Amino acid sequence: MDIIIKTTTRLLFPLILVFGCYIAMHGHLSPGGGFPGGVIIASAVLLLVIAFTQKEVETQLSEIALEDLKSIAGIALLSIVFLEVVLRPDIMHTQTPFTLWSGGVTIFLNIFGSLVVAFGLIIVIYSLIKEEWKSKKSKW
Amino acid sequence: MNNKIASILVACGFFLVFLFAADSFTGQSSNVNKYYTHNALEKTGSANVVNSIVWDFRGYDTLGEETVLFTAIVAVFLVAHKKGLAEEKEEKVR
Repeated sequence: MDIIIKTTTRLLFPLILVFGCYIAMHGHLSPGGGFPGGVIIASAVLLLVIAFTQKEVETQLSEIALEDLKSIAGIALLSIVFLEVVLRPDIMHTQTPFTLWSGGVTIFLNIFGSLVVAFGLIIVIYSLIKEEWKSKKSKW
Repeated sequence: MNNKIASILVACGFFLVFLFAADSFTGQSSNVNKYYTHNALEKTGSANVVNSIVWDFRGYDTLGEETVLFTAIVAVFLVAHKKGLAEEKEEKVR
């Protein structure tokens, strides 16, 4: 891609990551939640993968990192099971509503859910774009 | 030709049956809607009603969604990386 898209991506990439984390962490206060936040974080990586070439991306996101992302997503899923089944009913009666620390374990459920969605979609995007890179006709 | 007509008729019949079934369910579910919107803040403590429904009232449903998503991701990972493993084996043989 040309230099305008590359520079814009370089500027926007951390902002999109921060915005996705904000959407995920404030899911119990404002519109949003775990699923949209995770999709926004994954869309940042999609923008990176589209804008840059294979060498530039692979210095940042290697094969070993993909394995780690898969493991973290699995651990987050197990934490969701634990929170949902064991811990859900208890904490919330001591909290004041409409503050960040409210809603019981909903904030942790949002964070772990966004981890599963974001890392999973990053794995899917990267696996598919690698097949595209292998075929030599590709423009990217 | 007769088979085609019969299958189209069966599909239309199923559509009508599900249409009437969905119409008969709406009266009952409106009570659930009112309960959720009136009691979400007291019961769950989160200000976003949609989020309290997704993670608290229908928590096991969301858990199943996450499990489905994770299963699909693992399937994509296995399919996409199988080719790479085969190529590594070929390189070792050479």
